[in-house]
Amino acid sequence: MNLVRAELERLAARRFVQLMVLLLAVAFALTVATTLAGSHRPTPVELSRAQTQAADEVRNLELAHDRCLRIKAGTVTPDENDYLPRDCAQIDPALMDKLPSASDYLSGVFVFANEAEPLLYFLIAFLAMFGFLVGASYIGADLNSGGVVNLLLWRPRRFAVLGAKLGTLLGGLLGLSALASVVYLGVFWLIGEASGLTGRIGGAFWSSLAAVWVRGLVLVLLAAALGFALATLGRHTSAALGTVAAYLVVWELGARLVFQILSVTRPDRFMLSSYLAAWLSGEARFWDNDACSGDIAGFCDGYYSLGWAPGLVVLLALTAALTVGAFTAFRRRDLI
Amino acid sequence: MSAVIEIAGLRKTFHTLRQGRRIAVDGFDLLVEAGQVHGFLGPNGSGKTTTLRALLGLVRADAGRMRVLGAESPERLADVAGRVGAIVESPQFFGNFTAHKTLRLLALAGGVPTARVDEVLEQVGLRDRGDERVKGYSLGMKQRLAVASALLKDPQLLILDEPANGLDPAGIREMRDLTRSLAAAGVTVLLSSHILAEIQLICDHVTIISRGRRVAYGPVAEVLAGFDQHQWQVRVAEPERAVELLGRAGLAVIPYHDHLVVTGVVDPELISRTLGEQGLWVRELTPLRPDLESVFLELTGDHPHPALPRQVDGAPPNDGVIDLDVRESREVDA
Repeated sequence: MNLVRAELERLAARRFVQLMVLLLAVAFALTVATTLAGSHRPTPVELSRAQTQAADEVRNLELAHDRCLRIKAGTVTPDENDYLPRDCAQIDPALMDKLPSASDYLSGVFVFANEAEPLLYFLIAFLAMFGFLVGASYIGADLNSGGVVNLLLWRPRRFAVLGAKLGTLLGGLLGLSALASVVYLGVFWLIGEASGLTGRIGGAFWSSLAAVWVRGLVLVLLAAALGFALATLGRHTSAALGTVAAYLVVWELGARLVFQILSVTRPDRFMLSSYLAAWLSGEARFWDNDACSGDIAGFCDGYYSLGWAPGLVVLLALTAALTVGAFTAFRRRDLI
Repeated sequence: MSAVIEIAGLRKTFHTLRQGRRIAVDGFDLLVEAGQVHGFLGPNGSGKTTTLRALLGLVRADAGRMRVLGAESPERLADVAGRVGAIVESPQFFGNFTAHKTLRLLALAGGVPTARVDEVLEQVGLRDRGDERVKGYSLGMKQRLAVASALLKDPQLLILDEPANGLDPAGIREMRDLTRSLAAAGVTVLLSSHILAEIQLICDHVTIISRGRRVAYGPVAEVLAGFDQHQWQVRVAEPERAVELLGRAGLAVIPYHDHLVVTGVVDPELISRTLGEQGLWVRELTPLRPDLESVFLELTGDHPHPALPRQVDGAPPNDGVIDLDVRESREVDA
């Protein structure tokens, strides 16, 4: 417990951590300031106009659906402008996740319900980068500077020392991320209340946002553990940064190009970024070049998707393998 | 006396892609008993730091047995770590932390009352600079901080690797006084240093390592006595005649331009009597006792060579092979 307390203090006292928290605060303040400056509470006239536009759009959708049904029934002849899906239910407004609403037609008005998810994605991206860099530098700098050796002279239990460091990092990061995201979304909700609109924030909205939030927090923790493990294996912060840079250039760019030249089927399956996107968004869809190349009559859906479950499995397996490797290497390593 | 540090047959080989296999420690033995201030000497690259790192569980030994305060190392080192204060080489600290914070975090991690921080800062002379960032410290101040970190646990055993690194003469003296006061308080000290005169002043026992092997050990006085050739420096008015007279008496004499050195004489009376009986009066008769530096250089083959740059241990500058077995035979038992 003492070790964890000491590590937590050490982590919080690190200049790099403080700098990154400051950067987060600055980015947060800038976003809030620009949102406040660009938003106003809609007048009754603006609101009424937007409601009319939204109602018109819903009516258009209903008409298109009716027309689709009648074309399929053969009572109406289609013209060249008609969009005819295989099943008219695909354009049935009653089955749509989200119908046009007045907030979609308000200009210069911040609508919390529309912006919360993209804002949260931005925060998660920042926190994941923060987690990776802090995770890598926390152990990398300690290994490089002899801090770990100093600590081992006091607590000659390598697993406990490294475990305390990783646990402290993940715990601290989870606390910071949870706090930052609650404050962040809370402030934007207040902006919506005071200087814009909150929009439709019912149960479905909150459960969808909570799902993104939880997946985001897991991603932040995985990124931190990955940075920590890579820096431990490479004995230096730059080892983690170099590995990621090399992976991006060699595999995500280079191998993707090679797969394309060789016409490999569904190359996105081999890219970590695909699983990352699948995990974070719940599902990621990719185009399959070969899906519609045969003799297919009528409609062909050339997309395939990756769900959050395989995304989580791949990300977890990679992080776990590297972390186990890091602990094993650290246990056997000569600290000279 | 009970053994505080026991090392037997320690062996460690490093393997690197570039340099291949390098034997750092080759069957090394060390015994430090309670209450000793034990000097640990060896040239650069002789295996001193590797030995200390292995003892403290930082390096995995290939073979050998080590015990610290009765506990097997590294298996049971954690049981006694709270009673062992150590610095190995020059420890690095986070530059942005103050000395006070650095020590406080170590105390917290080690379960030591944080009140000890001020005490040890006072002990090493950093009381008034403890709230400054470490990055502003001189090398000597960082060394003091390292010693403070080792003292924080109020240790029974103190292992200091080059504690005088970067210290000015006054600092070296303070470190010497501190070591003596700790020894007087019952702390066993293992001190590795290149400052041989310092070791001779502070330590009561010494172990010398060369190329990973122990080449001498025992009480400092006995180690020195083992190398005493009973030499005397003699000055007389007629040195040529003195050489002749002493030679005739069967004594080995080496003439220098202003004095003679007579070797192998236990009682100096023989010299003064031999010369005095022939009317040649001795103006100076001084014993030439070996000091630790000469013994160290003799044992480690580290004598400066006028024609060749000196190499670190493991690559002797001349073509002579140091016969470690011969040296072992000259060891003095503790």
